[in-house]
Amino acid sequence: MESSVEVSHLSKSYNGQSVVNDISFNISKGEVFGLIGPNGAGKTTIIRMLLDIIRPDSGEIRILNDTLSGELKNKIGYLPEDRGLYKKLTVMETLVYLGALKNMRSKERALMFLEKMGMLPHKDKKISELSKGMQQKIQLIAALIHDPEFIILDEPFSGLDPVNMKLVKDLIIELGKEGKTILISTHMMDQVERMCDRIFMIHKGKGVLYGSVDEIRSRYGKNTVLLEFEGELKNIPGVRKINNSGNYAELILEQDADPGDILKILAAMVRVNKFEISMPSLNEIFIEVVEGT
Amino acid sequence: MSKWATIAKHEYLTNIKRKEFLFVTFGIPLFMSAIMGVSFIFMDAGSHNEVYKIGYIDRTALFETTNLTNITNFTKYTDEGLARKDLIGNNLTNYFVIPENYTATGRILIYSSKKNFADNVNIEERIKNFLLANLLKNEPPEIIRRINQPIISEYFTLNENGLKNEENGIAILLVPIVFSLLFTLSIFTSSGFLLQGVVEEKENRIIEIILSSVSHKELLQGKVIGLGALGLTQIAIWLVVAASLILINPTISLLVVSQIHISIPLLLYAMIYFIFGYLIFASIMAGVGAVATTSREGQQIAGIFSLAGAFPLMFAQFIIFSPNDVLAKALSIFPLTSPTAMIMRLSITDVPLYELIISLILLVISTYFIMELSVRIFRASLLMYGKKPTIEELIKYVRQG
Repeated sequence: MESSVEVSHLSKSYNGQSVVNDISFNISKGEVFGLIGPNGAGKTTIIRMLLDIIRPDSGEIRILNDTLSGELKNKIGYLPEDRGLYKKLTVMETLVYLGALKNMRSKERALMFLEKMGMLPHKDKKISELSKGMQQKIQLIAALIHDPEFIILDEPFSGLDPVNMKLVKDLIIELGKEGKTILISTHMMDQVERMCDRIFMIHKGKGVLYGSVDEIRSRYGKNTVLLEFEGELKNIPGVRKINNSGNYAELILEQDADPGDILKILAAMVRVNKFEISMPSLNEIFIEVVEGT
Repeated sequence: MSKWATIAKHEYLTNIKRKEFLFVTFGIPLFMSAIMGVSFIFMDAGSHNEVYKIGYIDRTALFETTNLTNITNFTKYTDEGLARKDLIGNNLTNYFVIPENYTATGRILIYSSKKNFADNVNIEERIKNFLLANLLKNEPPEIIRRINQPIISEYFTLNENGLKNEENGIAILLVPIVFSLLFTLSIFTSSGFLLQGVVEEKENRIIEIILSSVSHKELLQGKVIGLGALGLTQIAIWLVVAASLILINPTISLLVVSQIHISIPLLLYAMIYFIFGYLIFASIMAGVGAVATTSREGQQIAGIFSLAGAFPLMFAQFIIFSPNDVLAKALSIFPLTSPTAMIMRLSITDVPLYELIISLILLVISTYFIMELSVRIFRASLLMYGKKPTIEELIKYVRQG
């Protein structure tokens, strides 16, 4: 498959401290790709290097079969993690200016997106009059206004209420269907689990997992039970770990444990509303990987 | 439109609407004309003929009040006690005593009911006229006038370029001072906006979106050019305001036309110095903005450079009174001070061509280097949020860039 982004042996250090250490990955054309890891893992640094905002110490980056140039920047859309806009400009002024910086006359597209995001009534308001969530939507529109081929979204869900989160998710899925290449960077792994085709997991500047979400999860075995229950969970033989969230729990089984036996024990202990044998969540895998290193 | 032009246009249009810009652009001319107006009023008030009644006690028997024109309101007393009483009783404003040894010493004892410096000057002038009139009472009046004011000067310069009548008086001081003041002000306003803009964009993080669209160089170029155009607009507005103020008042315009000659070459040099002076300060401010973490910190660092830029204004009197001295020459060659200092010198003296060339070459070269340096610092330290790079780190970045 044709690659949209090729990153090879990328490294960057600040003050002798390695922030990104020998990272390599590819993003295929039309793929929704997750760059995941905890806060401070080096995700944003990688993104800034992708955009030529900072330069890598070593390594190579090719995007859309090109090294970074002014022309190429017009084909990339970017929603940074740090949200900020000109406070005194109106919504439309902001969008038209940011579009113009991508060499686009963007008025119609701006209006179209504002409509879609339910922001049309606010188009002549100043940015400072908008709520934080609204500003975030404006930034997202700014990232998409020039119809980019490659879209980078750094923590796109942070600070959004559930309604807006769904709105943004739907938009990302729609863009994916349109054949855009999308890179989502986030520490909220359950969010990308269902949206991303493939992921690259980074921890302390080093790549720890790389591949399709399904492949990674099955690599870590069918040894997880998702449980909905009423009552109190205690230690269960054959269960290595319980991620308990009250009425819902993720049970990590030991290698040779039989889920049937576990169910019997559980049935005696609590009222079981749902019992599902599943693959581990990315979150769980990540914790395992990190604790293992 | 290329991207730097988009940025320049944006910077120009958003900053021209700023309150600070409007305040400086329209407030300064108002303020200056107000000051001028007020001082004219006071000058008038000062020259009002206040009524002086002056008594004197003559112990030399040389001085008379009679038979002398222009000498009024002098009363002769033989008894100092009486004069004293009249002074206290407000029948006299002052009295003075001419001691017996006056012709040898020139000593005059002046008594006033209140202490007032401006009055002293006036009274002394009157007493002087009185004494002169008496001492020279046998001379014709023209001689007395000449003794009072022996020189009314007119200056010419004569060199290979021919004979030139030089202006004199207040106008010759006014032009360079006003000129360099506005000049410095405009440079500081625009480069200050640049500093503020960079720090603001950094603080609210929009700079990342912008840098995902344009290169660091384009961003800097756009800002510098846009705000430079703003500075030129400001100067244009000042010129138009000044011209219309002058044209409204026929006596002033006559005065200006006769007293102030602004030559075309001078305007041309002013333009060049303004542009490069602005560019050099703008580049410094951009670099400072990139390094600073908050706008307050940025302004503190920038203050050091602004001080250097304001140097010629602080030493304006030295430059104007001795425009060919070492200090004036040095200031007109050092790149941060040369724009203002050279314009001051050019408007009052003939600056040798080679000095002008050295000054311009130095200015252009250092502008180029500081711009390059700023782009590199800009690129290197822009995204080190919350952390100010150390000097060593800066040097490293600049080398890497």
